This record gives sequence, C-alpha cells and structure tokens, in this order.
Amino acid sequence: MKKLFFIVLGLFATLNGWAEGATKEKSFWADPFNHPLLPFYSLVAFIFVIIILVIAISIVLIRTMNLLIGQIEKQRAEAMGQAYVPALSWWDKLTQKLNASVPVSQEKDIELDHNYDGIKELDNHLPPWWKWLFYISIVWAVVYFVAYHFSYSLPLSKEEYENEVAQATAAQQRFLESQPKAVIDESTLVYSPDVAILEKGKAVFTRNNCGSCHRNDGGGNAIGPNLTDEYWLHGGGLKTVFTTIKNGVVEKGMPAWGKAMSPGDVRDVAFFVMSLQGTKPANAKASQGELYEPEVKTEKTDSTKTQAVLK
Amino acid sequence: MELQKFSYDNKIVKAFMIATVIFGLVGMLVGLTAAIQLFYPLFNFDLQYTTFGRIRPLHTNAIIFAFVGNAMFAGVYYSMQRLLKTRMFSDSLSWIHFWGWQLIILAAAITLPLGFTTSKEYAELEWPIDIAIAVIWVVFGWNMIGTIIKRRERHMYVAIWFYIATFVTVAVLHIVNSFEMPVSLFKSYSWYAGVQDALVQWWYGHNAVAFFLTTPFLGMMYYFLPKAANRPVYSYKLSIIHFWSLIFIYIWAGPHHLLYTSLPDWAQSLGVVFSIMLIAPSWGGMLNGLMTLRGAWDRVREDPVLKFMVVAVTAYGMATLEGPLLSLKNVNAIAHFTDWIVAHVHVGGLGWNGFMIFAVLYWTVPRMWNTSLYSKKLANIHFWLGTLGIIFYALPMYVSGLVQSLMWKEFNPEGFLVYKNFLETTVAILPLHMLRATGGGLYFIGAVIMTYNLIKTAYAGSFVANEEAEAAPLMKEYVATSGGWHHRVLEHKPVLLTALALVAILIGGAIEMIPTFLIKSNVPTISSVRPYTPLELHGRDIYIREGCVNCHTQMVRPFRSETERYGEYSKAGEFVYDHPFLWGSKRTGPDLARTSGKYSNSWHYNHMLAPDAVSTGSIMPAYPWLFEQTIDIEQTAPKIRALRKIGVPYEEGYEDTANDDLRKQADGIAANLKADGIEVMSDAEIIALISYLQRLGKDIKAEKLAEEVNK
Repeated sequence: MKKLFFIVLGLFATLNGWAEGATKEKSFWADPFNHPLLPFYSLVAFIFVIIILVIAISIVLIRTMNLLIGQIEKQRAEAMGQAYVPALSWWDKLTQKLNASVPVSQEKDIELDHNYDGIKELDNHLPPWWKWLFYISIVWAVVYFVAYHFSYSLPLSKEEYENEVAQATAAQQRFLESQPKAVIDESTLVYSPDVAILEKGKAVFTRNNCGSCHRNDGGGNAIGPNLTDEYWLHGGGLKTVFTTIKNGVVEKGMPAWGKAMSPGDVRDVAFFVMSLQGTKPANAKASQGELYEPEVKTEKTDSTKTQAVLK
Repeated sequence: MELQKFSYDNKIVKAFMIATVIFGLVGMLVGLTAAIQLFYPLFNFDLQYTTFGRIRPLHTNAIIFAFVGNAMFAGVYYSMQRLLKTRMFSDSLSWIHFWGWQLIILAAAITLPLGFTTSKEYAELEWPIDIAIAVIWVVFGWNMIGTIIKRRERHMYVAIWFYIATFVTVAVLHIVNSFEMPVSLFKSYSWYAGVQDALVQWWYGHNAVAFFLTTPFLGMMYYFLPKAANRPVYSYKLSIIHFWSLIFIYIWAGPHHLLYTSLPDWAQSLGVVFSIMLIAPSWGGMLNGLMTLRGAWDRVREDPVLKFMVVAVTAYGMATLEGPLLSLKNVNAIAHFTDWIVAHVHVGGLGWNGFMIFAVLYWTVPRMWNTSLYSKKLANIHFWLGTLGIIFYALPMYVSGLVQSLMWKEFNPEGFLVYKNFLETTVAILPLHMLRATGGGLYFIGAVIMTYNLIKTAYAGSFVANEEAEAAPLMKEYVATSGGWHHRVLEHKPVLLTALALVAILIGGAIEMIPTFLIKSNVPTISSVRPYTPLELHGRDIYIREGCVNCHTQMVRPFRSETERYGEYSKAGEFVYDHPFLWGSKRTGPDLARTSGKYSNSWHYNHMLAPDAVSTGSIMPAYPWLFEQTIDIEQTAPKIRALRKIGVPYEEGYEDTANDDLRKQADGIAANLKADGIEVMSDAEIIALISYLQRLGKDIKAEKLAEEVNK
C-alpha cells in the first residue's frame, strides 16, 4: 500500500509540473528559493504535514484503545462465564442502519429456502437510500423533460447556441470599448524592423503553423510560395501582404486569417514576413509571381542579422 | 424421488477459457500498439495494415468479442449447467458455437487490417461476417434455452435471467444495426442514412456495452461471487427490482452518445433522462455484489479471487455513476470527443470486465483441473500490476481529456480562439498519452503473469472433462408453494420470462426510432445537399477503409468555440445521403465537416504523404499507399446501384456514364495539382480522397452563399 501511495503521489507531481510548464509562465517552480511567497508556502506545507500526522496518530491510538477495551471486555466475559460477542463498530452500525439490513448474526431468519448449486439467497429489504435515489431520479427525469419539451422553460441546443454567441459578442464589444483604440490602418502602415513587433510576429507565424505551407523559415514548399524573395503571387509590399493575410486567397488555400486573429496579430505577422525578405534560406522554392519593387526605396536592413536577434 | 446421475461438460468451458486468455493477450497487445502510435506514429511500421485507423477497431473488436465474448461463454457454460443441474442441451451445438465464434474472430482479424469495414463502431465487420455472427448467436441461444427447458432445478436463479436478457437483446441489436446493402463480397452500405444511422448505431453501441459487457457479467457475478465468498446473496428483492429496471431503462439511453449533434432534441433529452434513471438500477447490482461480502471482508484481504472481484464490482459502480453524469449536457459538452471518454470505457473494460474475468479464471481453473492455484503470490502480483495499470491508464486520460477540452474552448478577451491551431492542443497532451501506454503495459504484464500461473496450475492437476453430478428430476406437476402472483412464478416459466424481457427491451428502442424514421420534421431537408459524385463516393469509401472516422469527427456542435474553429454547426439535413454516417466519436485530430475549400489540393496531397512535414509535430500517420494504389472503377456501377436501392436519388442508368464523370473530375484535380508542380496519376486513390475532402461541407456553404445573394 505504501508503495502504491508513493507512486500515485509521484504521478500527480509529474502532472502538476507539466501543467505548470503548459501555462508558460515563470511561476514559483522556476526559482522557488527566491520567491517572495516561499515562507508562506513552507508554512502551509508544514501545517498540512502536521495535520496529517495528527490524524494518523489519532487513528492509530483510537484503534489501539478499542483493541485494549475489547481485550478487557473479553476477559470480563470469560470471568463471568459468558460467551463474548464483540460490539459492532460504528461503521457496521451505520451501514446496517442505512441499508436497513438484517445483521449477519440473524441472517438465518431471512434465508430463502432455495439453494442453487450451494448458493443461498437472503431476503433483505431494498436499501432505503437506494430506493429514494431511484425515486428522485425518476422525478428529476419527468421535471427535466417537461421543462425542455412541454413548458419550454429551458433553452434547447439551437437557442442555447444563440444565447452563447450573443453573450460573447456583447462581452467582446465591452472589452474592445474598454481598450484604447489600437488603430491599425493598413493604408498607412510602414515597415520597420522593430524587434518587439517581429518577435510577436514570429510567435504568431509559428503558433498558427504558417510553416506548414511556407516552411518555418519562409522558404516555401510544395504547397505555398517562397516568402523570402522579391517575387509575389498576390502583390508585394507591407500593405498588400497585410491584406493578403487578412482576407486570404481562399480559392488557392490561403485562409483569411483576419477572421481568426486580431488586426494587431495580422500586423505583427505581416511585419515578420517582411523581415524575411532577402534571408535566402537553403533550398528555397523557386520564385513565383511578379517581381515587386517598392515605389519608395527605403534603406535596406540586413535581414539575416534581424532574424538572428529574434527569439 | 430417485436421483439422476449426469455429468457437467467442462471441456467446452476449457476451450472457451483458452480462447479467452489467448485473445485477451492479443487484444491487449493490439491496444498497447495503438496507444503507442498516439505519441509515436511510426509505430505502425509504415504499413497500411497496421495504421491506427485500422487497428483501433481491431483492438475494440478483439477485446469485446474475442476476450470478453469468450469469457462470457465460458462463464455461462460453467455456471448455467450447475445452476440448472443439467449438462448443456447439446454438445454438438456447444462445439458449433465454439468453433463458429473462433472462425468469426479469425475473419475479423483478417478483414479489419485489410480495411474491410462498415465503420460503425463495434459493428465494423462486413455483411458476410454479420450473417455468421447472427447464425452462431442463435446457436448459442438455442443451446441455452434448450438447457433451461431440460433443467432439474425448478426456479431459475437471477444469473439465468441475466443470461436470457443478454441473448435476446444482443440478437435484436445486432440484426437491426447490421441492415446493410451489399456492393460486393466485402463491401456494403448501411441501410440507414445520416441521423437515422447515427441513432440506430448508438442504440446498438450503447447497448452492446449494456448487454454484452454488463448483463452477462452481472449474471457471472451472481454465480461466482457468492461461490467464491461462500456467502448467501444479500437481497433477492434487490435482484428482481434491479434486473427488470436495468434492462428496461438501459435500452433508452443510447442517444446520450449524440448530445449536441444533429439528432432531434427530444431524442437527446430521452437519452439524458434515462441515463440518470439508470444510476440506481446499475448500483443495485454493485450493492448486491458488495453486500454479499458482508462477513467475508477478512477473507477479501487474503484471497486473490475476492480481491479481483471487489475491484471489478467497485469499478462497475464507478463507471455506472460516471456514465450518467457524462450524459448531463453540460458535462458532456466538456467531455465528449476527448480522452475522458476513453478513460471512462477503460475503467469499465479493464476494471469491471477484465478483473471479473481474471477472478473467474483464478477460481475455476483449479477446480476444473482438480488442484489448487500454482502460486497465490503471482496472483497477488497480478492484482497489484492490474490495479496500478488501471490507475496509470485512467488518471492521465482524465487529465488529458479535460486539458484538451478546455484548450479547445478557450477564447481571448478580443473574442478569438487562443489555440486556433488544433495541433497545439494535441501536442500538449502527448506526455499524458505516454503515461497511459505505461498503464496499459503494466496491465498487460499482469495478464502475462496470470497466463503463466494458470498454465502451471493446469499442468499440476488433471483435467476433469466430465464432472459427475446428480440431482432429482423435475416433478411433472408443480404446485406453487406460495399463493397468488409472485415473481417466483415467473422464475419457473422460462419462455414467459424470455418474452417479457424481449418486450421490456423493445419499448425504448421503438419509441426513439420510429418517430425519427417516420416524422419528416425530424430531419429538415436542405435543398443544396446533393448525392456524392462517383469520385467523391470512391474517396468516401477510402476514408471509411482507412478508418479516418476513428480520429476525425464530422459533426460541428452548436458551440461558439466550434463554429469559430470549424464553421457553421452541422444540420440534420446535411447527412441524408450519408450511408453510413461518419460523425465519429473522438477528436484525436480536428473535425472535418467543413473541410471543403479550407486547404488547397496540394496541401491535402502533401499532408497525406507526410503529415509531420506539413504540420510539425502532427501524430497523424502517413498514407503513402494512397499514391500508388488506383481507384477500382469497376466498382462504380455496383456502388451506385446499391445506393439507389436504399434511397439515394441517382438517376436510372447513371451507373453507365458515372465513370465519365469520375474521370473528368479526377483529371481536373490532377491538372490543378500539376499547376502546383505535382505530377500524379489521375486514377490514384489520393485523387478520390482529395475530392471527398473538398466536398465536406461544400453544400452547406453553397446554401449560405445562395441565401446571402437572395438577400
């Protein structure tokens, strides 16, 4: 049993550690010794251990005492020349009462006169709590069905869905209104190799599996085009790339990402795509589409260097 | 009255027991393989016969029908002879039953890896095997009823009632659910379509659990548990009440597998309320089992047989409380399609069925070989390995199910899904899948140890093929000992009891199915929904063959998190030409109901060729053979004829020109791929599969577009 306990404990500990990892936050476990709440946690853990110990010791003491009392009772009974019948434990008494069962010592009285290959049957009552469980579940079933299908007081699937969407839309609206208006006007966007934005953009690129069609380094594969050269199927330049990402080219397999992410995310990933220009990854896909030359030549930054900085 | 001498047939029990152990080990090993593939997809050795989609049904069929099935027959044949004080009705029927069942298992083991499947869960076997199952099942029932008729014990004990209910219900379930239109020797289409097919399938699927995995085992519990504990059964009244309420209520609960789907709401609600009403009847069995052990708990600590039984009955109680709770719509909304359900069935399968089988084997083998168990220590080791195995299996899967479900549903305050990329939620739970495989491995090792222990026991003893017994024959004239109507009267009228059990189980199914089939408003039609083109039809059959439905659903539920991720929620009218329905029951990968137009043909092409290269970290296996094998266009005409016969409106004579349409569509896709630099034969299977994937949800999208234009 002890072994089992430790193995189960170990299992929970692993799960816990893993769940912490999943949240991707530097939490207590990242550096426990310098965490400000360390004394508090230690105290709680200490009290917890003490409580468990106290309970365990109490149980052992009570059981020993019961054993001793039993011994004394037995001796007393023997001294008086009577047969010793141990008293039922509180648990036995409780279950007997809850189940309305005839005690084992009297079960001969309710034994049925049949015998199936040596198996006998007792005629105990149905446990009252079980009977009530059954009755209540039947009443619940009737109420449930009436509420949904006769009095229409609870929403069925379709209505439930409509409520959910309406509530979410309202909550979304409230949230957006509470936020400072982040104006992302695609007509005035200008690319700059801002590391903070590019890092966010790279994360969006990776998490949404853009690499599945454009390769993780943007070099393109059999599905999607190369993003690192100056040739574009649907037009080059930050503004056009932003629009392509936002609205997609659905008939050619490019999803309309604007439906699934915020304009901020689209901007970030568009910046990241622009930052890939000129990185010349190995085995990149041959150029497709038309050469794009920006109207206003800006100073070219060293894109390979920019990439190296990104996490 | 003079005693008659006769003998019990132990040889047939022995045969079924050997089959139980062998197929148990095989079934568990296949399950372990499937579990490993879920974090290490290469474990299919890149063979089409061992991909997850094909061996998952092999695992479920092997465990349900070969392991649990053979164990059930062993237990029934052993206990029934003794409870009725007679040999089985006919030795020939017993052996036809045995060999027939083993041949069915062999046929399943060959056809499932080959991809011959109806895709309906736990009813995957194709129509010739379905017929064989029906025949052999009737042989079993005939032998059983014959034995009951020639019994020497007037009253039928509660175990026998459960065996009778098992026989009649499984017969009805199997026959009704297996109605299918053959296309060729190993291909058929379900008679029912879409919503109706789903309702029939889950009426079957749920009650396969009820009447194949539960009632026969309750019967076995009622024999083997009091025998092993040497205690009287706790309450005869409880047996009566829980038997009749269990079989009557169970049959209604099937729709709880289809909550929030396109099944009509009233049928879903029936599934919910009957599941809740099922708690008490199920627990009746557990209570009667556990309370029979009153006064024997000190022996439970010593005796491995009782230990296994206590865990089995407790697992039964947990699973039958959890099941109804999972049927509540708000719980179901979280748990359905996730690993939670896998954990739930394995508490039942590993705990209730597995442990009960182990207990029965440990108890009967020493008796049949007239010896004692070779090693109690090994049996105890098996007990602890098995128990740990269950814990290591179930706990990680509960966590995994919950974690993934919450990730699917998480929105950020801006109103977008946090985990838009389904794959992120898959990768997050892989460590838990590894733990699960460890649990399964422990359980399997335990079973191997048991096998060794049982073989050693058998070699130490000598087998008693015919166990001598004697009993008085039944008196011709029976005079009831108690006056008036009483359940006792029913217990000595086997035919009446069988008939009443049949009525009890027919009511629920009939009330749910007949309106769904006959009342039009239950499946509102959608005008833009058209039958599949010949190429799509071939693609759909490849989808079925590869078992895609084992990991991908085609059922967008009406939740914001699903309509955001996949698109509009699924409607009943979309599925009217779906023979069989392919809604699925588990989302290891994303839902595919709205796949059309989501990705380009070349995306699908590359993804099927090497999923991991397209979606880094994907655990989907590669399907290279789809690029080499060609579509069997000879089958186009029979397929179309078969579907027309079951109501799909292909015009008369269309089968003659169907292949022209097929080629045209295939050439179009091949040309489209070529534009992306991919050279592929236009008759390769991948072309058909792509055409099907690009069709999924297309009709409903067209409907939406038309609506918008009309506005």
